[in-house]
Formats: sequence, C-alpha cells, structure tokens
Amino acid sequence: MRENQRVSDSVRRALPGFLAAAGAVALLGFEIADKGWAFFFQITLNGITLGAVYALIALGYTMIYGILKLLNFAHGDVYMVGAFIGYGVLTSLGGPLNPSVPVWLLIVLMFGAAMLGSGLLGVAIERFAYRPLRAAPRIAPLISALGVSFFLQNSALLLFGASYRSYDPFSLLGFGGAHFGSSVFISWIRIGVVIGAIALMLALIFLVGRTQVGKAMRAVSFDREAAAMMGIDVDRVIAATFFIGSALAGAAGVMFGLVFSQIFHFMGFLAGLKGFTAAVVGGIGSIPGAMLGGLIVGLVEQYAQGYLNGNWSDLFVFAILIVFMLVRPNGLLGTRAITKV
Amino acid sequence: MSDFPNNPEDTKVPAPPDAGDRPRVGVDEWVASVEGRRADRSLVLRARGRVPAPAQLVVVVAAVCALPFLLNSGDLFVYGLFTLLYALLGLGLNVVVGFAGLLDLGYVAFYGIGAYGYALLASPKYDLHWQAELAIPVVMVGTALIGLILGFTSRRLLGDYLAIVTLFFGQAFVVFVNNANPHNITGGANGIAPTDPLSIFGYKLTTTRQYYYFLVIAVLVVMAGLWSLLRSRTGRAWQALREDPLAAEMMGTPVNRLKILAFAFGAGIAGLAGVIFAAVSTGIAPGAFDTSVLITIYAIVILGGTGSLVGVVLGAVVINVTYEALSPSSPSTGRWVFYLALLIAVLGRIRPWPKLAAVVAGTAAFGFAVHAIAGAVSSSATAGPVTEGGSLTGFIKHWVVIPEHPGSAAKYAYVGLVVAVVALTRLSGWSRAIALVPVLYLTAFVWENLLIEQPAVARLIIFGALLIAIMQVRPQGLLGTSRVEIV
Amino acid sequence: MLKRVSLIASVAAFAALAIVVSAVAGPTSAAAKTVTCGSTRTIGVAAPITGAAASLGSQQLGWAQFYVTGWNKSHKTKYKIVQGDTQLPNAAEAIKVAQRFGSNSKILVVVGPAGSQEIQDTTAALRNAGLAFISGSATRTSLTDGSRKGYFFRVVPNDDQQAPAVANYITANLKSDHVFIIDDQESYSQGLADGVQKLLDAKNVKTTRDSVSQTASDFSSLIAKIPSSTKVIYIPWQLSAKAQLFGQQLKGAGKNIPLFGSDGLFDPDNFTIAGSYDSFFPVNVTSATIKAYASAHGGKPDYFGVPSYVAAQVAVNAVEKACKTGKGKTTRTAVRKAVASTKLTATLLGIPVSFTANGDVSGGGFSIYKIGSDGEYSKVG
Repeated sequence: MRENQRVSDSVRRALPGFLAAAGAVALLGFEIADKGWAFFFQITLNGITLGAVYALIALGYTMIYGILKLLNFAHGDVYMVGAFIGYGVLTSLGGPLNPSVPVWLLIVLMFGAAMLGSGLLGVAIERFAYRPLRAAPRIAPLISALGVSFFLQNSALLLFGASYRSYDPFSLLGFGGAHFGSSVFISWIRIGVVIGAIALMLALIFLVGRTQVGKAMRAVSFDREAAAMMGIDVDRVIAATFFIGSALAGAAGVMFGLVFSQIFHFMGFLAGLKGFTAAVVGGIGSIPGAMLGGLIVGLVEQYAQGYLNGNWSDLFVFAILIVFMLVRPNGLLGTRAITKV
Repeated sequence: MSDFPNNPEDTKVPAPPDAGDRPRVGVDEWVASVEGRRADRSLVLRARGRVPAPAQLVVVVAAVCALPFLLNSGDLFVYGLFTLLYALLGLGLNVVVGFAGLLDLGYVAFYGIGAYGYALLASPKYDLHWQAELAIPVVMVGTALIGLILGFTSRRLLGDYLAIVTLFFGQAFVVFVNNANPHNITGGANGIAPTDPLSIFGYKLTTTRQYYYFLVIAVLVVMAGLWSLLRSRTGRAWQALREDPLAAEMMGTPVNRLKILAFAFGAGIAGLAGVIFAAVSTGIAPGAFDTSVLITIYAIVILGGTGSLVGVVLGAVVINVTYEALSPSSPSTGRWVFYLALLIAVLGRIRPWPKLAAVVAGTAAFGFAVHAIAGAVSSSATAGPVTEGGSLTGFIKHWVVIPEHPGSAAKYAYVGLVVAVVALTRLSGWSRAIALVPVLYLTAFVWENLLIEQPAVARLIIFGALLIAIMQVRPQGLLGTSRVEIV
Repeated sequence: MLKRVSLIASVAAFAALAIVVSAVAGPTSAAAKTVTCGSTRTIGVAAPITGAAASLGSQQLGWAQFYVTGWNKSHKTKYKIVQGDTQLPNAAEAIKVAQRFGSNSKILVVVGPAGSQEIQDTTAALRNAGLAFISGSATRTSLTDGSRKGYFFRVVPNDDQQAPAVANYITANLKSDHVFIIDDQESYSQGLADGVQKLLDAKNVKTTRDSVSQTASDFSSLIAKIPSSTKVIYIPWQLSAKAQLFGQQLKGAGKNIPLFGSDGLFDPDNFTIAGSYDSFFPVNVTSATIKAYASAHGGKPDYFGVPSYVAAQVAVNAVEKACKTGKGKTTRTAVRKAVASTKLTATLLGIPVSFTANGDVSGGGFSIYKIGSDGEYSKVG
C-alpha cells in the first residue's frame, strides 16, 4: 500500500512538469513540421548565442544573491559600464576600421580592461552602497541598488551622450562564419562568444568548486555567521564575490558589443531584467541554474521571435516563463529551502 | 551595539556593582537597546507626541487644502496632483508589501488596468460614456478580481520567485497593450484618447483644482479605510503573515487566503488611481505604465517606511516634490534644491557646531581663494557666464570657477568627484572634515559647469544619489520602525 | 460607532466644501494674458531628453538650441529656451511638461512634443493654456483632423504624404512583388507601416508584416524568417543605429535584400548599408548650417533633429512678429495667429514652410535617397 502511495505521490508531483514539457515539445514539433528543420536549427543557434550572454549576466546575479540574499539591480548597469570600457579601449587603439594592434590582442585587451573595470566598480558599489545596509531590512538594499542603477545609467548619459556607439564588429572581424547546409549559418563572432562564455563559466565552476576562495564563498553563502566563526574574512569574501560577478558582467558587455554591435546608456536596464529573469528561472542561488536559465531564456526568446509574429512574441515569452515558474516554483535547479523553525 | 539604558533605576532588578560593564541580568541586549532608544526621543518628536492626533490631522488637511491657492495651475498639477496620485498608489502597494510582506513587482500593471478600464468605459472609442459613480466601482472591482487571479500564483511561489512572476505579469501587460492589441482594443502604441473627464452624478471635474480636491478626498477615504483594516482581524493576520509566515500558519491564520486578499486590495486601490489618472490626463498610452513608474512607487513606499500609512504619504511628498523641483523646466529652483540638499547633508552629518562652522567657512574661503588664483592665472578661466543664476548670480560668479571653454574638464571633474566622495567615506574625524572642503567646492564646480547644462540628466543622477543616501541614513524609511527580521 | 459616524460626516462636509471652493473661478485664462515682450523672450522645448528615446530627444533639443544660439548672436532681441523632458514613451511626463509650460506665463510658444501619442495626450493641457505647439516629428495623419486647429502645427509632412511616395517608388522603380514590412512597435512606425502596407496591397503587391521591439538588438531569428524571394524590406524605424545593425546582420546571414527606410533613419553617419533606400525631406546635406552644427557636436550632424531647428525657426519668428505688431506686448493668442500665418520660402528641410488650416505643412514633399557603396546618400527620386 505504501509503495503504491509513494509512486502515485511522485507521479502526481511530476505530472504538471511532464504535461508542460509535453506541451512545449508538441508546440515545437508542430512548428518544425510547418517550417522545417533548417529553420529550427538556425534559431536554436541564435538562441544559444543570446543565451550565453544572458547566462553571464545571470551568473553575477546568482552569485551575489547566493551570498547576500540581495537582488542587485545595479548589476545590469555594471554590464553597461563594461561595454563602454571595451568601447573606450577599442577607440583609443585605433577603432574598428584601423586597429593599431593585432586584432586578437585588441580583443584580449578589451576583455581584460572591461572585466577589471567592472569588477572594481562592483566592489566599490558593494563597499559604498550595500555594506552599510547589511543589518537593515532586506528591502533597503533593493532601493539602494535602484539608486545606484539610476546613478550609473545617467552618469553614462551625461558623460557619453545619448547616441548609440558602435563596436562595428563586421569591420573588425568580417562577415565570415560556418555554414551548415544551405540555409543555416552562424558567424565566427557568435561561435567565439559562445566558446568564450563557456570558458568563463567553466573557470567559474572551477573557482567555486576547487579553490580556497570558492570554498569560502560557498561557506559564507550557506551560513554567514558560522563562516565568520570559522575564521573566514566575510567582508573580503563578499568583495571577491562582487568582483567576480561584476567582471563576468563586464565580459558579457564586451561580448554583446562584439555580437550585436550597439551599446548605449540604457542597455543595462534591459539586459539586467533578462539576466535577472534567467537567474530566477534557473533557480536563484545556483550557479549551474543560472547558466541553464540563461540558455532557456535565450532559446524561448528566439523561438518566439522566429515562430510568431513580432506583436505576440514578447507576450508569448512571458506566458511561457510564467507557466514555467508555476510548474517549478523554485526555478529549474533551485533547492527547496528547508526553513528552520 | 547595545546602548545602555540611561536610568538603571528603571529596572526591577537591582543593579550590580559592575553594571556599567555588562548587560543587565534578565534583559537581553536587544531589549535593553530598544528601551534606551525610546527614552532618547528628540525634542521635535516629544513635542509632536503632546499634540493630540485629530488636531494634527486637521492641521495637515487644512494645509493640503490651502495649497491650490498658493500655487498656479501647472505647479499644482505636478506638485500637488501627482503627489497625491503617487500617494494613492503607494498606499495600495503598502498593503501588499508593507502589510502582507509580499514582493509584488507587477503592481504597476493594475494601475494600467484601471486606467485602460476607465478609458474603455468612458471615451469615444466604443462610444461608452459611463458616469464616474458607476465606472469607478466597476473598474475597481474588475482590477481587484485580476489581482485575485495574480494572487493565486502566490500560493505556489515564495519571496523572490513571486517577485519575478509578478514582474513578468507587469511586463506582459505593457507588451499586451502596446503590441498584441487584439482587435485594436487598446489602441496599440497610440493608446486611447481622449478620455472623458470624471462625471460624478452629473458634476464634471474639469480643472486641475477640482481633480486635486477629489484626490484629497480619495486619499483620505482610502487612508481611513486602510487604517481601520489594519486594526481589524485581517490586518492583524497580515502583520502576523509579514513577520513570520510559518508561525502564522501554525497559529491557524489562513495564509494563502490572506495573500490573495492582499493582492486584491492592492490591485483595487491601484485601479482607483488608474481611473483618476486616465481622467486627469485626457488620454493614456502604454508608456505611462512601465518599470520606471514601478520604481518610483517602490521608492515611495520604502522611503516612507513600509507598513506606515502616514509614512507612505510623506514618502510621496518627499520623492515627488524633490523630483519635480529638479525639473529641467525650472533650473533656478533646481539650483536652490541642490545647494539646500548639500547644506542639509553637511549639517546632518557633521557635529558638533565648531567643526560644522569650520567646514562651511573653510569651503567659502577655499572657493574664493581658488577663484582668485584661477582668475589671476588666466582671465578666460573665470569668464564663463552663470547659467540661470537668478538671485545667486553675483555670489556664484565670484565663488565658483566657471571657465569660458570648459571642454571636457567638467567631465573629468565629475568622475573625480564620484571617486572623491567614495574615498571620503573611508576617512573619519578631522581628516574627513578637512577633505570635505575641496570636495564640496568640486561639487559646486561640477554643478555649475556640467550638471546645470543638462538639467534633465542631472535630475535623475541626483535622484539616484538621494535614494542611496537616504537608505544609508535611515534604512527603515522615514516613519518605519526598525524591525528585527527573523531569518 | 460615533467615531465612524463623525468620520463619515466630516468627509461629506469636506467634500461639499471642496466642491464649493473649486467652483470658485481660478486664475484668468493664460491665453489672453498680456505678456511684455522685453529684450529676452522665452520659448518652451519639449523633447525626450532622458529615457529610452534619449538619442532622439537630445538631437531635437540640440538643433533647437542651435537655432536659438544662432539667432541670439545676430539679433538684438534674445531668446531663451525652457526645457521639458517628456521621457517618451512615458506619456505622464509629457502631460506634466505641458502643464508646467502652460502655467509659466513667460513661455509664448512650444516646440515639440516629439511623439504622436504625446501630442494626443498633451493637447488638452496646451490648448487650455492657449499655447501653440509646433512638432518636428509627430507624423500621424489623424493629428491634423481639425480637432487641434490653430494650436497644433507640424513642420514635417505627415504619414499620408510619406507612405504614397514610398509605395510609388517601390512599385514603379524597384518593381518589387514581395515586400516584407517590419515596424518597431512605436506609434510613428506603426502608422507608416500601416499606410504603406495598405497602398501596396491595393496595388496587388504581396506584403508580409512583422514587428520587432525598438529595444531589440538580436534580429537573427527575424532575419531567418524573411524568405530569400523578398525583393524589398521596408523598415520605417526611428533609430538609425538599429537599422544599421539589422542591415549588417542581414548581410551576415547571407541575404542581400535592399532595405527601405523612412525619414527617421536618414543618418549618413550611422545608417550606411550599401544598396539601401531612404525617404527623407530634400535636405541639402552640404549646407553650411549642417556643417556648423556637426563641428559643434563632435562631427555628428544629427539629422533627426533638423525639423526641430525649423520648428524653432517658426516659433522664434512668430514671437518676433507678434511682439512687433503688439508694440512690445503680446498674448499667446497673438503668437498662435502669427504661427498660423508663417511663410518661410526656404528652410533647412529643403521645403518651404507654411501651414494649412489644420496645421499640416503645405507643399511638403519627400525625396527618395539611395545609399551608395561608399555610404554616400544620393537623391534618386
């Protein structure tokens, strides 16, 4: 009797997820039958590229949430600053049409400068806007984060003006790419970005899983007081977390510039929302979750844009994500928190 | 961390000889600190405590009603009417966030639903011209029902996951209204215009002044309603839910039903605000209901102190008045606000009096000195005109260095200023006071040379800085209580 | 119980008092109020200076300021601009700006607002204040249906003039039989796209309609949707940078389909996809004024704002005329009349500016430009 009950219980719990997944597969199948496999592959590849950028932003959100239980709304603007730093390096070294150093070196410098700059900015924001509020109710740092976001966005507007700046990657790196069949194409830039994002994510997993710093981070995110009692310098670990998360956002900013070319002061706000979505969909606080969440959000967006009319695609994305959250209330890989009484 | 109580005689336990060195027996640190803080209330608060509450209310309401006679119509619109509209929205959000403790990031969608509901019922679009006494209840109930439906999601979702689903809902609303727009029901990006003015039993509200008084009545009625709701069984249950959901559930409060009810109430109030907004603005477009409005409402609620009704109204006043005073349409007001804010910041953080006087005098002297030196070095360094000087032109011209051709010096100065302010927080005591002098002067320099040229951008920068600063100074909000959170 | 009754009673009494008080006449209408002209006159400029459309508003503000600065240098009477940040698409801010301008008795005329939905929402406030508002970018045809007669003016031809020019060129010169139309989900874009689609359908040209958000940067899936048999892609967007991006991504995907833009995309600095077309006013791109502006703004001519220059020109000249006839004193009503009787034979837009009864510019026309392989714009139609 017990065995049957356990089986039926787990079936009942898994049923909504199963139904939703079956529905999604059915929808996709119908569209594939309608528009063909090549189209499906093309937009899947597009989704993976976009997803890689979102995943990097989501990682920053998730890391900071995991350690401070804070939704850092200024994260998107750190990403924007990274993109602008990369642009600054690009123009100071000759610009996309006439670079004064070899292209590969230029790209390395752009990434390096953006990651360093964004990381330092993240540390400064934490020190200045969040650390004094550690003992405050959880909603106070939220407003502080919004204030920082306003400040960064409009400082960029003040200093750089309102017009869009272009990385012009096609002049820098050309139009080349890989062709699959006659209609599926992905440019080298996009492949590079995906590989770069995966490399950064693997580096992060290594850092968090195998190094001392990573161990300290995990300890602090699990129980801050106990970690402090164990002799871990909590302030320094939190600063390191902010540095790494913000550096990843800066790298995402440069990647965005390289793939999608245009940067402007408002881009952080929009990307930040997507990154936040990705982090939560994947299960906030979980690093692999953020990566998967980014991928999911990117794919859903591209499928919706590819298969639906532009007027309905955004709405469909939200509907899918709402259903997803209702089916898996803790995100994809989020753990069901055990509340201590 | 524990402030020792001032009067050890207050305790029932006799004080041991080494009472000064350790916490009192039988009383834990936190309780002792609270008692200390209660006895420490400032002069203003104690004076306010002596005036009975109804008298305070009458004075405030009288002042609010006198406002239309002191301001012209345009100022009344932006300072008075919109403040009250935001206060109404804040009161509604306060029910969800402050009373029930749920993070609802899609709140602004209900505002939009209320506005579009009214626009569909009282405009030439479908040639319906419902009277306000019919339209308002219908729209409020409709919005509340939609809030109820959204509330159902809160059964499965907790905390930040609920936040994101409500955020999706809010975004989905704007996308639906702007893009999807089936059968052109919402007018797409053009919205619905014109909307009828509110017509209450035949009496049409047409001027700003009439809408202002209507809003005052609406805010008072909603506040009274929420006040009595807070003291009712439901209100107490909400507070229990906010403080500790698990314990509340153990005590038998119907947690899920309460959450849904909170959503419905908040949505209904937002619907009312939406109706008034649609009538006042004679036309609505999807852009008026996006995330920037949500951020403003959240700032109001949190700045005012979540859970406090008067606090929310106060928060609305502070935020909206500051925001509008810094508007690019009135740059001289903006200058006054800026310098006043600077002065208040300095006054508030530097005590005692001698140090404060030294800093202020030092900044003035430093400024005149730098101006004289710069003028002596090169005449074009101080030849630039003062923008929108007004009555302060003379003083500013001789105090702040305004070059004729600033170039990008002002932009570097801005970056330097940000770095300097961050560095300033690392100093303390006299070194901070001394370093403050050039930083204050640099602030004036950046303002006169860069920010005042782009007042629209400067407004948002100052707004952001203000949010950060207020949260640092008073994280619980103006009238919130510093609660201990049980994690 | 007594408390509740007294509460209700006091609210009712208060409501009655409020009705009585508000029925008392407010200040006299600002439209008829006489304003002394003085040596410095004020005009209001309403544009989206911050927010999502900041790149457009800053251009409009910049050009308006450029005209006023130029005027001040060469005339004895000086003009001052009061800015209003409308934060398109947040219509609430536009209404606030309109109300403020209305109450500022010094402001005699308004340049802007920019968006068609903003015009719609601010009409009541500006009309009650008696202000004329001259827009450089609100092109929706229905705005000049007569309900804003005498108050709303626009220096740019409306969608009903641009759409036929585009549709005719597509069918006559490009001889396309399949056109893919994409709008950017903004009011301006939807209006033009609707107009062109209707005209092309009437000429039996196959059209596919889609849309993309103005904030999108990834057009790859949209591009994948476009069949290779498409002859022209019509993109009546506002942001030239996005159009450039779209064109590059299109080329990157291997689809060499010519793009056709609208007046919002005329930007030889940003939109340089070879083989594309664009409809714009017959501006002389080599004019000295444009060069002067560009050198003062980091080399960027900011073509989107040129209509605001002309709007400021109309505004300033109208105030001058009204002040002269009023001998140093004028009212907003007089300025409105002066605006309505504007006759400029040559403007920076390349078209003469005078207004019809409903506020449209009479005699406006569009030219079609083609972008060459070196990114240069040349007039072809």
